[in-house]
Amino acid sequence: MERAVPLAVPLGQTEVFQALQRLHMTIFSQSVSPCGKFLAAGNNYGQIAIFSLASGLWVELVNSVLHFSLAHDGPVYSMVSTDRHLLSAGDGEVKAWLWAEMLKKGCKELWHRQPPYRTSLEVPEINALLLVPKENSLILAGGDCQLHTMDLETGTFTRVLRGHTDYIHCLALRERSPEVLSGGEDGAVRLWDLRTAKEVQTIEVYKHEECSRPHNGRWIGCLATDSDWMVCGGGPALTLWHLRSSTPTTVFPIRAPQKHVTFYQDLILSAGQGRCVNQWQLSGELKAQVPGSSPGLLSLSLNQQPAAPECKVLTAAGNSCRVDVFTNLGYRAFSLSF
Amino acid sequence: MLSTLSQCEFSMGKTLLVYDMNLREMENYEKIYKEIECSIAGAHEKIAECKKQILQAKRIRKNRQEYDALAKVIQHHPDRHETLKELEALGKELEHLSHIKESVEDKLELRRKQFHVLLSTIHELQQTLENDEKLSEVEDAQEASMETDPKP
Repeated sequence: MERAVPLAVPLGQTEVFQALQRLHMTIFSQSVSPCGKFLAAGNNYGQIAIFSLASGLWVELVNSVLHFSLAHDGPVYSMVSTDRHLLSAGDGEVKAWLWAEMLKKGCKELWHRQPPYRTSLEVPEINALLLVPKENSLILAGGDCQLHTMDLETGTFTRVLRGHTDYIHCLALRERSPEVLSGGEDGAVRLWDLRTAKEVQTIEVYKHEECSRPHNGRWIGCLATDSDWMVCGGGPALTLWHLRSSTPTTVFPIRAPQKHVTFYQDLILSAGQGRCVNQWQLSGELKAQVPGSSPGLLSLSLNQQPAAPECKVLTAAGNSCRVDVFTNLGYRAFSLSF
Repeated sequence: MLSTLSQCEFSMGKTLLVYDMNLREMENYEKIYKEIECSIAGAHEKIAECKKQILQAKRIRKNRQEYDALAKVIQHHPDRHETLKELEALGKELEHLSHIKESVEDKLELRRKQFHVLLSTIHELQQTLENDEKLSEVEDAQEASMETDPKP
């Protein structure tokens, strides 16, 4: 545990408050800028910090925070980036910011929208955002168990997909047939066809014996898909599924529930309750376990923007105020701190 | 004096030679420097090539692993030939049983029809017997009335 304030300096109220804030911070979401040189991270206090990856990599600065803004009233649960905008979502609202302006002080949001909820009293949190580039739309999913589709040009909410019985944790896009996968607390992964706005397939993960772990629950915390294959984990064990036949093919032997998973080249990267980023091969073997600096990890982000190939890094963030940067997947290069 | 002159000439000749030598060394070094630059560029290209090959190899490995994963699942299911054979055997049994059922039903129909014929002939016979009885009663009654009439 790092000492945030050295003892020689007299402890004023603000320093104590800041130190306490940093101690209890959780970073929920990350997003890379379209130019590939900046990383935005959102935490549970509603702040969004912009880190400069380029200066971090070459000059080895640890605190290369360029800007720090109180963006939302509640925690910032998810963020995505489009070509020019950063979209962030928290308790009930999604806000858009211009990347070009984020680097200046006092930047204001471009617009903010609230999807049509069933009653005006409830303000459910938006847990996941997904961009569908073909339709230029954004899909929001969260506490009200529905998926809302919003057209990015007009800002109107076009469709509502209902089917989940409990809140939704994560979304993934299946590119070949434009389908969206959503996983939630009710333990089911549902596939929705965007053109007909109907549920195409349901996979109830906890019902399969190979992967269910009843002592952990049935919630699906993370989803990733590769058109034919899908990885999901959370309460049940992290499993690789073949989507067409809906069969679980490989179960990855890790006990801790995983909170974020992604496909990368021929590997599957996952992170969750442990300290490490795990790298798996599709056959179920653990290729590497790279420890980070946070006791638990909530999100991984791979900077694969073609505009900045020198900043191609993996960043991981979770239950602390630090974002770990891995330049080579084998070890942690350095950490950026809020 | 001659000796100092010759000494000076000698040292000048030496420095000239050294100067020539240095010039040639410089040229040599320039040449080596260029060669090294070329080989560095070549090495960069090879590295890029190898990176592409690594990506390709990773893709191939991924495909192979996906195939393996699916193959494992498929192995759990029973063999296709066996199930086909079982299906054929079951089909034949079904046919056989349906044949038997048909023949039994035919027999049943035949018996039913014969029984029907039997019953109808019995009914007819009953009818004719009753008719005969009635006729004979009527004839008896007529005879009795005829015997009482021609008496007076």
